[in-house]
Amino acid sequence: MKKMIGWIDRRFPLTSFVKHELTEYPTPRNLSYWWNFGSLAGVVLVIQIITGIFLAMHYKADAAMAFDSVEHIMRDVNYGWLIRYMHSTGATAFFAVIFIHMARTLYYGSYRAPRELMWWTGQVLLLLLMATAFMGYLLPWGQMSYWGAQVITNLFGTVPFLGDELVVWLRGDFVVGDATLTRFFALHYLVPFIIVGAVLVHLVALHSVKSSNPSGINLADKDNIPFHPYFTVKDLFGLCVFLAIYSYFVFYNPNLFIEADNYIPADPMKTPLHIVPEWYFLPFYAILRAVPDLLGGVIAMGISVMIFAAMPYLDRSKIPGGARYRPFYRVMFYVFVIDIIILGYVGAKPPEGALVPLGQVATLLYFGLFALLPFGSKLEEKWLRKRGLPEEVEAMIQSEEKQKEDRRQRKADRRNARR
Amino acid sequence: MIVEMKTLFVAFFFILSGVVNAATGEYPLADVDIGQDEESLKRGAMIYYNLCRMCHNMKYIRYQHLAEIGFDEKEINDLRGDKLASTKFMSTASDENITELYGMVPPDLSVMAKARKKGPQYIYTLLTSYYEKSENIYDNRFFPNIKMPDIFGYSVTMNDAEKLAIENQAKDVTAYLLWASDPRAQERKTLGVYVIGYLFVLSLMFYFVMKRVWSRLDTH
Amino acid sequence: MAEDKKSPENPDRRDFLTTATGVMAGAGVTAACWPFVSSMNPSSDVLSKATTEASLKGIRAGEVKTVEWQGKPVFILHREEKQIASMEGDGEGKDPQKDSSRVKNPDWLVVVGICTHLGCVPSRKKDGWFCPCHGSVYDNSGRILKGPAPTNLVVPEYEFVGSDKIIIGKKQA
Repeated sequence: MKKMIGWIDRRFPLTSFVKHELTEYPTPRNLSYWWNFGSLAGVVLVIQIITGIFLAMHYKADAAMAFDSVEHIMRDVNYGWLIRYMHSTGATAFFAVIFIHMARTLYYGSYRAPRELMWWTGQVLLLLLMATAFMGYLLPWGQMSYWGAQVITNLFGTVPFLGDELVVWLRGDFVVGDATLTRFFALHYLVPFIIVGAVLVHLVALHSVKSSNPSGINLADKDNIPFHPYFTVKDLFGLCVFLAIYSYFVFYNPNLFIEADNYIPADPMKTPLHIVPEWYFLPFYAILRAVPDLLGGVIAMGISVMIFAAMPYLDRSKIPGGARYRPFYRVMFYVFVIDIIILGYVGAKPPEGALVPLGQVATLLYFGLFALLPFGSKLEEKWLRKRGLPEEVEAMIQSEEKQKEDRRQRKADRRNARR
Repeated sequence: MIVEMKTLFVAFFFILSGVVNAATGEYPLADVDIGQDEESLKRGAMIYYNLCRMCHNMKYIRYQHLAEIGFDEKEINDLRGDKLASTKFMSTASDENITELYGMVPPDLSVMAKARKKGPQYIYTLLTSYYEKSENIYDNRFFPNIKMPDIFGYSVTMNDAEKLAIENQAKDVTAYLLWASDPRAQERKTLGVYVIGYLFVLSLMFYFVMKRVWSRLDTH
Repeated sequence: MAEDKKSPENPDRRDFLTTATGVMAGAGVTAACWPFVSSMNPSSDVLSKATTEASLKGIRAGEVKTVEWQGKPVFILHREEKQIASMEGDGEGKDPQKDSSRVKNPDWLVVVGICTHLGCVPSRKKDGWFCPCHGSVYDNSGRILKGPAPTNLVVPEYEFVGSDKIIIGKKQA
């Protein structure tokens, strides 16, 4: 075995790569369990791809056969029921893990310099995941599949000038139909592999700037420990706990996340009473409906997903890290989480009565928090400095200022040298 | 500060769910437990086969599947006669006749227990909510203006004994429909015990390995 | 695996725990592969087509009925007395086989209607079958008489159910 690896090593940086990126990779020793969710997301991606491929061996992407083929998988294919329920539960698990992963990043300020690119590759990954999930949901060809796709593809009609043609082009037909189903299947199969590529970029960025940590402050080198065995074993432990929870849903409550209406075959002539997207889209759906104007709603929904990208610039505080040393930011974070849950609830219910103004207030609050951050963060910084910062935080700010000063000096030196 | 925030968080959540549940005011679902014992499933299958199948298809169920709920080969052969064992359960009425009578094709029942929220309770409540609105006119309290006739005759029962008999029949056919919507449910739950049990043990083992590995940090 | 110092108190116990955990995890991963491998095997609806029922009612003596089994044609020949008599013995072709070993009930011949040469479906003639593709000739026991086919027509697994039905093929678990 050693000889074989030696042979490879003389031609390919196998051992040095594994040593540098995995075995000896320096990781802050104080990472909490909130840092498990990145690798968990990677595992869920693998689960979805594997279960998806095996489902694709039996699924028929034809409007006349799709629903039947899913029942065929559930009833006739050996362990088909298991693979199907793993895939549907996996979609929920994916979003749950990703939302917690994002929450960790927001809370601890891991989106801030020098990790902006990590945050933005993550933003791209979120969009790719949402697209994949949306297209995947059409495939069972149930009532909710069909009408959810009909409603959301309709939204593209709000694009000025091109809107109507765009919708028809997307669908391949005037309404969601067989053409739509076939292309969504093709793309649903493809995009996860684009996600794999984007994950690799995300990881390259990570290995360039290294993980942040719960204190938000750059630790000294001596406070890093090798990734293996400390975090390999911690990730494996976390994975087992996750799989146990995941398995509970797969084996004992698999239909919790499947809308009952989706067990009714799609009927283009009959719209269900309440069209509800999957839970992970609910907050954004609520924002869409909160704005009375259709185009306005679409724009608001788009911004509500994309606005996360602006975080590194909205947050102007010089206090490093996230909520740990910043009480005002911490309050904003908790308010934001509660607000998203309210939006999710509003999105799940029909838009009537008190829910309408509630949704609108929650939407205003959502964007308001982001708008408040530039000013709030600066005010908070002033107040914290006056109160006096902990030593490590002071030291960190000093060192960042010094680094900036050094860079400026070097630039000036180079300019002078050229003259 | 963090503790207070978290408490507020959790408290808010509870209050919200309370508000949610008080709001809706629809006809209550019967609080009935639908078991899956073989006797009930067999009776329910025969009720579907002789009664419901006059109008409702079950295209994902075939004669051969009856073996899974306790029918032996002879019983299945007797039922199917000349038809192949792989023949699907399709209704004995034609689409045109039925649509003429009721204005629509009655829904396929194969996944009905999953196609409604709290499906088994829904089906049972529907079957036992018929009442006589006026002379010879029946309606359904749970599903007003329903097109399906009172097939069990619940609305014209004379006494409690008759009501009970029909309620038991409704339980049986609901049990059968529940099985039909998810025939692998038993297998799934059994396998789940092993999988979750295994993962629990493995988590424990990884926990202790992790503790041991991390204990090395302090000895440096 | 990084070369770790064995802890002084219980070196063997630590190795055991780690090894045991590794074995447990490996077993789980292996077991987890099984459902996926299994899902590629024929599904239960395909397996139920492993057997086909064929009714023998209405096939007059001397007549052949062709049924489909697993996508293949199967010839069911109701043999007349003189046909049975003339088939006694090993046959005159290159693949001698006793007629009695090719039938369960001498009145009925059940053979897969695919020429053993290159797979065409032979046509019925009075004394047997003739394959139009390359001229193979089979007798009323399905044995190859002349032509390029190397072996007799295949006799599938089948069973009588009563006197007027047969089940072709073997039931799968």
